[in-house]
Amino acid sequence: MRRSTILWFLIATCLGVALFLVKHEVQRREEQLAALHRQILASQEAIHVLEAEWSYLNRPDRIEALVRRHLNLVPLETKRIGSLEMLPMRLPVPDSGDGGTGADGTVPPTLAALPPLPVGRPLVLTREVRR
Amino acid sequence: MKNRSETVRLEGHAKQAIETGRNRLILAGCLVALAFATVGARVIELSAIGDSSEPGVASVDPDAQLTVGRADIVDRDGLLLATSLRTPSLYADPKEVLDAEEAAFRLSTVLPDINPAETAAKLSSDRRFVWLKRNLTPREQQEVNSLGIPGLHFQDEWKRIYPQGPLTAHAVGFTDVDDHGIAGVERSFDDVLRGGRDPLHLSIDLRVQHIVREELLHQITTFSAIGGAGVVLDANTGETIAMVSLPDFDPNVPGQMDPDTLFNRATLGVYEMGSTFKIFNTAMALDAGTATMRSGYDATHPIRIARFTINDDHAKARWLSVPEIFKYSSNIGSVKMALDVGTEGQRAFMAKLGMLRETAIELPERGRPMVPSPWRPINTMTIAFGHGLAVSPMHLVGGVAAVVNGGIRRPVTLLASDIPSPGQRIISQKTSENMRRLMRLVVEEGTGRKADTPGYVVGGKTGTAEKAGGRGGYKHKSLMSSFVAAFPMQDPQYVVLIMVDEPKGTKESYGYATGGWVAAPAVSRIIARSAPLLGVAPVDPESPEIRRDLMIEQPAEGGKRLASF
Repeated sequence: MRRSTILWFLIATCLGVALFLVKHEVQRREEQLAALHRQILASQEAIHVLEAEWSYLNRPDRIEALVRRHLNLVPLETKRIGSLEMLPMRLPVPDSGDGGTGADGTVPPTLAALPPLPVGRPLVLTREVRR
Repeated sequence: MKNRSETVRLEGHAKQAIETGRNRLILAGCLVALAFATVGARVIELSAIGDSSEPGVASVDPDAQLTVGRADIVDRDGLLLATSLRTPSLYADPKEVLDAEEAAFRLSTVLPDINPAETAAKLSSDRRFVWLKRNLTPREQQEVNSLGIPGLHFQDEWKRIYPQGPLTAHAVGFTDVDDHGIAGVERSFDDVLRGGRDPLHLSIDLRVQHIVREELLHQITTFSAIGGAGVVLDANTGETIAMVSLPDFDPNVPGQMDPDTLFNRATLGVYEMGSTFKIFNTAMALDAGTATMRSGYDATHPIRIARFTINDDHAKARWLSVPEIFKYSSNIGSVKMALDVGTEGQRAFMAKLGMLRETAIELPERGRPMVPSPWRPINTMTIAFGHGLAVSPMHLVGGVAAVVNGGIRRPVTLLASDIPSPGQRIISQKTSENMRRLMRLVVEEGTGRKADTPGYVVGGKTGTAEKAGGRGGYKHKSLMSSFVAAFPMQDPQYVVLIMVDEPKGTKESYGYATGGWVAAPAVSRIIARSAPLLGVAPVDPESPEIRRDLMIEQPAEGGKRLASF
């Protein structure tokens, strides 16, 4: 009788303590969750503000003024746009076994013996400010 | 335990009392047992059986999502056009304010734009709540706080911000101080924006919008015009890629806008468009079969009707073929073409093109066309060259898109959509192809040569209309010069319209202020700058395929008619 009473009493105490601990833990985590939610909201609001600022700073007229001041970019000319078909024919590769460059990266002697290809004039972009 | 057998016998009152006690004890025991049984059953139910209504996994609190006040408006690439930010607003409880005069004076030192006398009056009023200033900056809030005046409070409010400023002012519109849309898309989609979290996607392309605005502004400044409109439309879907009306305003500073700048010339203004209407006139005659690409009309003599004389600006005074009538923008020839179709045919065609009703564009600012009533033969004659029927630039662009895209009219829209509307056929594919040829001819050889853009096969039509004056007459000095173009003409993708209001000729334009001088160069520059952004690949206009697509048989210059006529 007494032994079983003590056993039950112990079990009840253990359960009580465990329940208390679990409840405490849940409360702590709920607080943590709420804090995280608040943090997420604050971050989202900050992102929102930053997005607005980003768009404000990326206004096309502002970008254009900055480009004119700091870069040599000019509007794309039509003649600079091409397609693959517009490229000249590829040079026929003699003894086409390995296709141009050797496996070790060296130019095969047959290609190296050819006269050097004409080098295109370097592109010069002038600071062409329209109007 | 050994005393158990020795039963105590009690008699009388004592026995009675013990019996009662026992009964009560049993009753109490039963109640307690019942209570424990209930608790036990509940414990078993909760732990073992489980509640199906309880979610198995913890879910995110819906309140944790950001409330944005009013949904954003973005362009077709998702760039912000309008957004809402939370800003503090200053209000006061006059009952708590100790010294209204002093408080007002001190406030005016940190908020320079409030009036001390007015504020003092507000602070000494009998109410419990007065707004002092809406939407403060964080710095202003800090300064007001550091004044330490009792009775002043802040309340967070949503403020609508337009990061792009005036660039999309007329399309996006603006809201009042209480966040109700009062113009543009803000007004037409007020309910959607107020309720929704998802941004509203417009069909506007911010980059093209900027290009159009800049080029239009340049033309307006160069030719000292009073305003203008520019529209770029996707010819195959009816989506508005750019819509500019100048002068414009900054929607971020409400209340300080000049009413003149609020006027949307692109959709609300209705104008007699002039020669650009010959696109519709020619398409109508070709589609009705009353004229073919090979037929011609006598444009030797001006037409006199009632008190009017219809003359040609670029008079050739000879027989003109249909392509020549279009190329030289002959009024006489156009009138004769319209008369062949007839008044009823013309009215029906204009109705099919949507020229007699408001456009479908999602804006509250939509101009109602000024339609002649009754539609007399004289109206038929003037409408042939674009007078007598006033429509908005949006009408014109929508109509031209239908004429060049193969003959399908789709409602013009400001919203980006994946599925274009099926549309309604208004002219045959063949007529549409002929119109492409004619419009290309105008740019190659006619009045629109300044619109040519290498690589993009531009076709178009000039228009120079005299604005209607006071008493039914026309003001010869105030013009409405326009150019409407489509590109690339072998397979039109986009329609561009530039319209300049009351340009004055300059030395560079030899005093001319016509569509060919004022609007066409801007169209050319807009196409050259925006076509790469819109993904239109340049082609060689001299290539045989394009030559074949856009070829027209023409009589030789000099008046000799070909035998084939």
